[in-house]
Amino acid sequence: MQRKHFLRHGIAALGVAFVAPLASCKKDLDDADSGSTYGSGNGSGGTCTISPTETEGPFPTKTPSSLERSDIRDDRTGVALTIKINILNKNNNCAALAGALVDIWHCDKDGYYSEYGGTSMQSVNYTGVHFLRGRQVTDANGLVTYTSIFPGWYQGRATHIHVHIYNASGASLLVTQIAFPEGSNSAVVTINSNAGTSYGYSKGMTGYTYNASDNIFSDDTAGVELSTVTGSLSEGYVLTHSIAVSA
Amino acid sequence: MINLTENTRTIRLQYRKRINAQSVSSWDKWLWEGTYKEYKLQVQNFDPVGKYPMFTELLRQEPKAEKLHFLVSAAARGYLQQLNGIIPDIRNTVGNTLLPFSQFRFEILQSHIQNIQEHQVAVDFYSEPVKWLDTIGAHVLIGLHEGEQESMTHLVALQPGLNIYSILK
Repeated sequence: MQRKHFLRHGIAALGVAFVAPLASCKKDLDDADSGSTYGSGNGSGGTCTISPTETEGPFPTKTPSSLERSDIRDDRTGVALTIKINILNKNNNCAALAGALVDIWHCDKDGYYSEYGGTSMQSVNYTGVHFLRGRQVTDANGLVTYTSIFPGWYQGRATHIHVHIYNASGASLLVTQIAFPEGSNSAVVTINSNAGTSYGYSKGMTGYTYNASDNIFSDDTAGVELSTVTGSLSEGYVLTHSIAVSA
Repeated sequence: MINLTENTRTIRLQYRKRINAQSVSSWDKWLWEGTYKEYKLQVQNFDPVGKYPMFTELLRQEPKAEKLHFLVSAAARGYLQQLNGIIPDIRNTVGNTLLPFSQFRFEILQSHIQNIQEHQVAVDFYSEPVKWLDTIGAHVLIGLHEGEQESMTHLVALQPGLNIYSILK
């Protein structure tokens, strides 16, 4: 046998046994240890027999859902957008709600969402992505922060971000959307102008649905769903928004 | 050069791994628990008040819930990545896993919003193309790599859950 070939093949097979834990490595090792019984410590020993060590093959580790992350961009490009959402509890004098699970998703610069385009019955690549979707748990100040790109727009809708908020035990509290400010100097207009084309935003504002005509936001005359957006094309933008829920 | 292409077919194998309350390995159990947690979150998008606690019943009443297969698969992806692109469980006669994959399909077979014991899922793994060299008893002889002087082969037992998914030109 050629050694080169053997090595190549051997490594391919061994690779299975040495799968690197992707996350929580330390924690999982600790978990594994806690279930083990070690020798009595001083060498004098008991009469029990230590079980033989066996390989488990790929050593599994507990991983969170692939959606639990703050950077939701994956391969999507565009103008940087930091999304900061504060969750308040209406049932507690609108104080910050810690421990809530905040799930957000929005379209890319061209108006496309991930997860649409194939049927659920097709096979997909396991390294595939759920771009521009992500979850975070609110901190003690009720805040979650995401790193993303400024969403584009598509026919019939104003620029928006979808939000689904769950309590700590996973019960749905609210499904809502976040609207963006409009006007001549707004981020939406700037990004969808000529200045935005060098960042890949090529749609312009012709045919854009403004908040007042949007079938989701048009009834929000008090602006409850309207976020604050600051920043610039070159520096990126920061969106801040508060959402009250009854928890 | 040993030519493996003569009188052989290039096939893709499919392995269906079912995971349920009886599954024992850590990987299986964590995937089972993780996908159940995800199911409980996502199912509220299709049945907010829990009118149809059983998944198959929900699917009959609300066809859009078909999307749950894909939505819940997000919780399985982290575990699939731990496999490093090798199909689990299917071993050659000396005990090594061998079949490379990149395509998979995740399916919820059953679930219940109040009872994790009812939760059952399946992962279909689709192998990369391999050579089907021969059939020896209840085993197929599989070739993965062609070498100059020697080409490595694997004897793999035909077994429940393992299917020849396709034959390639």
